[in-house]
Amino acid sequence: MSSPPSASASSSPPPCPKKMITLRSSDGATFEIEETAALQSKTLENMIHENCASTLIPVPNITGEVLARVVEFCSKHAEAGVDDESLGAWDEEFVAVDHTTLFDYIRAANFLEIPTLLDLGCQTVADMIKGKTPDEIKKTFKITTACTPEEEEEVRGENQWAFE
Amino acid sequence: MAFSRLPGDVISRIFSLTTPRDACRVSSVSTAFRSIADSDQVWLQFLPPDHCDGVVLPPISPKKSLYLHLCDHPIPVGGNRNMSLSLDKKSGKKCFMLGARDLTIAWGDDRNYWEWIATPESRFNEVAQLQYVWWFHIIGRIETSMLSSGTNYAAYLVFRFEGHQEGFDWPVESHVCIGSEELDEGRSVTLDPREGEPRAVRERAHGWMEIELGEFRNENGDDGTLVCSLREVVSYKSGLVVEGIELRPQEMH
Repeated sequence: MSSPPSASASSSPPPCPKKMITLRSSDGATFEIEETAALQSKTLENMIHENCASTLIPVPNITGEVLARVVEFCSKHAEAGVDDESLGAWDEEFVAVDHTTLFDYIRAANFLEIPTLLDLGCQTVADMIKGKTPDEIKKTFKITTACTPEEEEEVRGENQWAFE
Repeated sequence: MAFSRLPGDVISRIFSLTTPRDACRVSSVSTAFRSIADSDQVWLQFLPPDHCDGVVLPPISPKKSLYLHLCDHPIPVGGNRNMSLSLDKKSGKKCFMLGARDLTIAWGDDRNYWEWIATPESRFNEVAQLQYVWWFHIIGRIETSMLSSGTNYAAYLVFRFEGHQEGFDWPVESHVCIGSEELDEGRSVTLDPREGEPRAVRERAHGWMEIELGEFRNENGDDGTLVCSLREVVSYKSGLVVEGIELRPQEMH
């Protein structure tokens, strides 16, 4: 069963007829995604163009749980007729998750080269860092491999203006 | 722990999306973070683009040192070097000063009224020294595309007095507008208030003073030309020396 032509026909058509792509996660789960949505990933785009015949793409680095959400993200962002404000609100909800999940999204976006998701994830983490003291940062991200007190003193001394 | 296990260039990207101040704070969190937070990859993002809009960055390495240099050492902008650029240390936002030669000064070309002198206390080649004038009107213009986006700016006249000063104990009208559209009713500023009167003048380095002319929020840099003006055309004035008009980012609250 082929998917109906996407409304976003303004993008130049790929060499093969539009179709659904199937992605397989590291733990063997499969997910269907429209080709137009998959093209948001540069990695997938390259793989699709290299091998038109096959519609099953293994994604070994990403678990089913994360891949499902990534597919959701790409599909949402490939949808036509969504205004910026609603998309922004949707994005905000998408990243309202625990840190581990957020980092999983970032890792997946990095591996699959999805600029929109990578930017969103990175900006979300950046916003969590902004304005915090080093101790607050350590606490927020549960960082245990901290500097020695001497090293911390050294950094503070070099960058006094940042700690005022 | 999960954070530290992200790839180095992703962590670097995250740090570059914070502010220079945050990047320094995060560098004290762990040894691994320090080397990423201090890297050229991060600090390049805090610098204005090189060879763009008349900005040529000095060849200082590493990028963090270049950044810190630009905070304390304004660099000339454009071919005629009548404008300077520096950075606000904590935020990295751009701070511009329009030198007197870059301003439109009514009667500025008439040596009876205004003299152009070189002084070691100025970053510019020349400053404008008022002999005397009744028609006092100074205008500074800058494209909003040059300013940092998402930033509140305030405009300041940078000046001092020399010789016989007169007439500046009266208020002068100042306006900050986009093109010809005024952002508010403007304000009255007194450069040389009499004793006992409120004093909005602040001291600056190298013997200069400054007074705020108005404020402006630059959202996307697509508002066209920002115009700052000072005008008082009734009373006799003398003794003012103008270094320029500075546009300085304000700290967000």
